[in-house]
Amino acid sequence: MIRFDQVSKRYEGGHEALSQLSFEVADGEMAFVTGHSGAGKSTLLKLIALIERPSHGQIVLDGQSLSKVRRGGIPRLRRGIGMVFQDHRLLMDRTVFANVELPLVIGAVAPAERARRVRAALEKVGLLDYERQLPASLSAGEQQRVGIARAIVARPKLLIADEPTGNLDPQLAVEIMGLFAEFQQLGTTVLVASHDLPLIKRMKKRVVVLDHGRLVADVAASEVQ
Amino acid sequence: MSAAAPETAEAPRSGRSRARRVAGWREHHGWSAAASLRRLAGRPVGTFLTVAVMGLALALPLAFYLLLANVQSLGDGLGRNAAVSVFLKPDQAGPQAELLAKTLRERADVAAVAVKTPQQGMDELATMQGFSGALHALDEHNPLPYVLEVTPRADLDAAAFERLSADLRGERAVDLVQDSGQWRQRLDALLALGRRIVEALALLLAVAALLVVGNTVRVDIASRSEEIGVLTLMGASHAFVRRPYLYAGIWYGLFAGVLAVLLALAVEWALAGPVAQLGQVYGGRLRLGGLPPWLLLATPLASALLGWLGARLVSAWQLRKAA
Ligand SMILES: Nc1ncnc2c1ncn2[C@@H]1O[C@H](COP(=O)(O)OP(=O)(O)O)[C@@H](O)[C@H]1O
Ligand SMILES: [Mg+2]
Repeated sequence: MIRFDQVSKRYEGGHEALSQLSFEVADGEMAFVTGHSGAGKSTLLKLIALIERPSHGQIVLDGQSLSKVRRGGIPRLRRGIGMVFQDHRLLMDRTVFANVELPLVIGAVAPAERARRVRAALEKVGLLDYERQLPASLSAGEQQRVGIARAIVARPKLLIADEPTGNLDPQLAVEIMGLFAEFQQLGTTVLVASHDLPLIKRMKKRVVVLDHGRLVADVAASEVQ
Repeated sequence: MSAAAPETAEAPRSGRSRARRVAGWREHHGWSAAASLRRLAGRPVGTFLTVAVMGLALALPLAFYLLLANVQSLGDGLGRNAAVSVFLKPDQAGPQAELLAKTLRERADVAAVAVKTPQQGMDELATMQGFSGALHALDEHNPLPYVLEVTPRADLDAAAFERLSADLRGERAVDLVQDSGQWRQRLDALLALGRRIVEALALLLAVAALLVVGNTVRVDIASRSEEIGVLTLMGASHAFVRRPYLYAGIWYGLFAGVLAVLLALAVEWALAGPVAQLGQVYGGRLRLGGLPPWLLLATPLASALLGWLGARLVSAWQLRKAA
């Protein structure tokens, strides 16, 4: 699903955020990217969604070389990726339903079908009764679940999450990570950046470890203890 | 790579995919139009202010247009249809006067001819204040000529009227033709100037309306930079992100155009009374020249176009900056 081939990223005026990074994530696999703050986790995810472009190297996503995707092709690429952010990035002036609906509106799905899929997504994250509420009236954990519903509502093949539990207490964090594992069960490829090592260890999934932009360890799910 | 129907997919050009693209396009436009309308309704005060400023700016040229149209119809009522006084030469007596009147009555551009004898003229003068003393001094000798009061057909235009006037002047028996020609010319020149001023004003105020919408949309986009960022991350195209703002511009323009028309109709209504009064004074020759239906329809449409244009110019610039 994802292949990094000798990928380096140097921000303008900065040092290298990623250095000659090579790894692969298979279809339907779930993996964590971890490392200290500033190790390059967010940068790695941004390269996948073409929020940033690599300085060197190749990234192939679902058989498509990202270097061949021009500016005009970025929206289409992003519609195939579900994204979850640390600060959930919900639109606070719209209901939960309207927030989750947005990717389907962008995808020009008809209203009846939209409503069906939004409810299905909200049900998966356990928030079906909240569809008429505004995000501000929800707890932090519920808000993040709405963010996840929004990320999966268009049934992307790939789900990427950047510190999705960064603002949550440990109990909620476990629940959220459990949700990601469920989506993997349903066939979605999942890549989660997190620095919460204890939590990652509990999940028993593959772990890619970055240090100053270099891949220093790649632990298979079966080897995680 | 998504299972969801992608926005404007570059799918093969089969009939079905074309139908789906059209459906998707309609879906997007319907959503954007409704969403932008909801946003405007969500902050009624700001929306009202923008619409009010824009509407007033557009109502102003309409009101001037109305004013001009009425001054023109006033001019028509007073000048063009007024009777022309044709003074015959002093040596022309009653039979010649009746003969000329008869030939004039046969003209297509003449509605009526009345013959006024010197005695009638004298009687008229006598009823006027201050003249009776002077008439006594004339001592029975009546110096007044025969006068024909020629009433032109009501629907004559300026050129036809001019022709009639020239023909009358050309008659051998005629000494002097007193018509409102010169007065008309001056009024026409003034009206032409007025029209030019209204046109210039309309242009300037249209630009002002454009700027009002542009600024409102600019502020709107600036306050929604976060939303724009989220939409972009979720794969919204530039066109999709921009569309609600274009619709907002169209709504602002449409509402402002309707407001402008309503204001202009209010002015028309307010003018109706005084004009009717004036019309009575001038023997019912005066009617209120209202706003023509095409203008009532064209104003909101042109205004909507203005709003769209303002939103388009600003959003192109503002969203590029945000990208
Ligand atoms: N937009 C940017 N411009 C310049 N430097 C950046 C930018 N974003 C990140 N960096 C730098 O790149 C490195 C990796 O950052 P990041 O990918 O955010 O790490 P992480 O998410 O692991 O904390 C850091 O040294 C950071 O300062
Ligand atoms: Mg980060």
